[in-house]
Amino acid sequence: MPRIRGESKTAEILTLEDAVKKYMKNGIQVAYSGFTGFNRNPVAFAWETARQGIKDLHVIDRHGSCCTWILNAVNAIKIYETDWMGWGEMAGKLDVNLNRSYLQGKVILEDYSHGAMAMRFLAGAVGAPFIPYYAPLGSDLYDVKYDALGKAGLRTGKNPKIAKKKFIQMEEPFWGDGDVVLLPSAKPDLAVIHVAQAGDKGTAKWRGVGTIDKEISFACDKVVVIAEEIVPEAEMRKLPEANQIPYFTVDAIVECPWGAFPSAVPFYYDYDAPFMRGMDAASRNETDMKKWVDEWIFGPKNWEDFLVKLGSKKLLDLRADSVTGYSTRMMRGKKPAPRMKMALSVARSGY
Amino acid sequence: MAKSMEQLMEVIDRIPNESAKPGEYILPELMAIAVAHEVRNDDIVFAGTGLPMVGIMAANFTNAPKATLIYESGICDGKTMHVPMSVCDQRAANQSSTLGGLVDTFGYYLQQGFVTLGFLGGAAIDKYGGVNVTSIGDYYKPSHRFTGSGGNADIGTMAKRVAYIILQEKRRFLERNDYTTTPGWWCWDHKTKEWKPKREVWKNTPFADCGPSAVVTNMGVYRFDKNGIIYLETYHPGVTVEKVKEGCGFELNVSKVKGETTHPTYRELFVLREFVDPELIFLPQKTEYPAAIQAIIDK
Repeated sequence: MPRIRGESKTAEILTLEDAVKKYMKNGIQVAYSGFTGFNRNPVAFAWETARQGIKDLHVIDRHGSCCTWILNAVNAIKIYETDWMGWGEMAGKLDVNLNRSYLQGKVILEDYSHGAMAMRFLAGAVGAPFIPYYAPLGSDLYDVKYDALGKAGLRTGKNPKIAKKKFIQMEEPFWGDGDVVLLPSAKPDLAVIHVAQAGDKGTAKWRGVGTIDKEISFACDKVVVIAEEIVPEAEMRKLPEANQIPYFTVDAIVECPWGAFPSAVPFYYDYDAPFMRGMDAASRNETDMKKWVDEWIFGPKNWEDFLVKLGSKKLLDLRADSVTGYSTRMMRGKKPAPRMKMALSVARSGY
Repeated sequence: MAKSMEQLMEVIDRIPNESAKPGEYILPELMAIAVAHEVRNDDIVFAGTGLPMVGIMAANFTNAPKATLIYESGICDGKTMHVPMSVCDQRAANQSSTLGGLVDTFGYYLQQGFVTLGFLGGAAIDKYGGVNVTSIGDYYKPSHRFTGSGGNADIGTMAKRVAYIILQEKRRFLERNDYTTTPGWWCWDHKTKEWKPKREVWKNTPFADCGPSAVVTNMGVYRFDKNGIIYLETYHPGVTVEKVKEGCGFELNVSKVKGETTHPTYRELFVLREFVDPELIFLPQKTEYPAAIQAIIDK
């Protein structure tokens, strides 16, 4: 829904600690940028949130990520509206600890599908109250008895961030194109978006896939941008078509190099699959989980200290090539990445 | 001295395109190539992480050189050098036509009707091609919980043809799923509470005829008859029809079996091993080539 604003925002530059202190509150609804655990997760922000003891979050996200993994590791999530409770794909698919919390009844889980969540954020972004979408008619996702928030008595209209219905299936009224599903817009309290660069006025950009980060930025009440680097706003204006987020949506900017580790920031650094496999292994039982949390979340003095703990060898291996945008040094499988001059399928088959 | 990737490229056409023998390849390779064979040259494919992605990348070197690959994170026709570990991997974005986001892929491409083939995984499947990637048992107190839909339900219902790759076990090949994430050719009409053909539930929508067309498992390749019911088309080398039936939780139609699944050819294996996944991320190991093939590679 549109939020008519009396005055424009002025983005302030904050430290990671101060941004979390100011914008994270117990019980708010929050969305994170990136794609699964692999791409542009604002991990440092979620990590600091865990350290500051924020609780009862309503995370609304199209899939799990390193952020949801970390927040759930300290039991900070109460409601999780998503379409995929995995997080690391090939480095640990299902979030085992989140699944444990769910089965223990600590987390309410609401299921949608990936496209449906994208459409909900698109609706939120353009100020539309709902959006029609075809898929997936006939799925149990759209069986009223599987409306988890409704079952928990949360669809009363009292919480302005929870829609009164999970969906409505109706006959498409304009063209006679069969049945369609209406989905409520997503309009969380806070978006946390990890980007490559932000201008000091707030204009922001990334390279690589956009996932739904632009939609999230417009759909949420407040937007915190975590940037690998803050640059003079004039730099951002040299090639404006490369930017995605205009400054007037942004409330705060945080400069936090390597702040998305172990996810990737294309052209800055790659994802760390072995580290994520380590997280996955630790989450398999509660003792190892606690050990991991103590060592990696509460152990370091601050994010810089976390990076020092990782060591320069690791950071060197993960540093992205300036041409490909990813690292060809790191070991992802059982053999090193081969060198090549171009995509070989193109050499063979063209475009 | 080891050959460069470019030198290896020059060898491809000299590798015989004839069937390898059992023992010269491993099951994941056979499955990846079975995936590749589902792809047509003019397909626009929307694929998930794992063997679907690997198979389609192989198809770009072999039977479907011009097929377009879409990754849900926003990547249109990426031309990869190094195999991606995720559909959002920057490796998948290399040399792409355009780079957008989920609204592009699920909205502009998928719901707009451009996608001709969806290739997905699944935890369990019913005899109508309905897929469960959500939960086993009671939804709220599941005996087993999976990740949930992701893009499965969207791609599985709005791509023109849909193919699945699934690990086949009796408890995963079912008469009816406990929870239908992605409806197959029969599904619930939640308005009337009736179990109906998908074409009726989706009547008049642009997607009424979209749905499952093939299933690749560790035991065989399946298709769907005109009533939307699955049947066995081929069984993998080393597997018998009886064994396939044992791995099935319902009475499987085996009356249309054509025989064994095509073995991968030496050329297909060469592509898979040397160009698609040389880092051994998806393929668990690299098997040795027979001496005659190795001699061609080394020459």
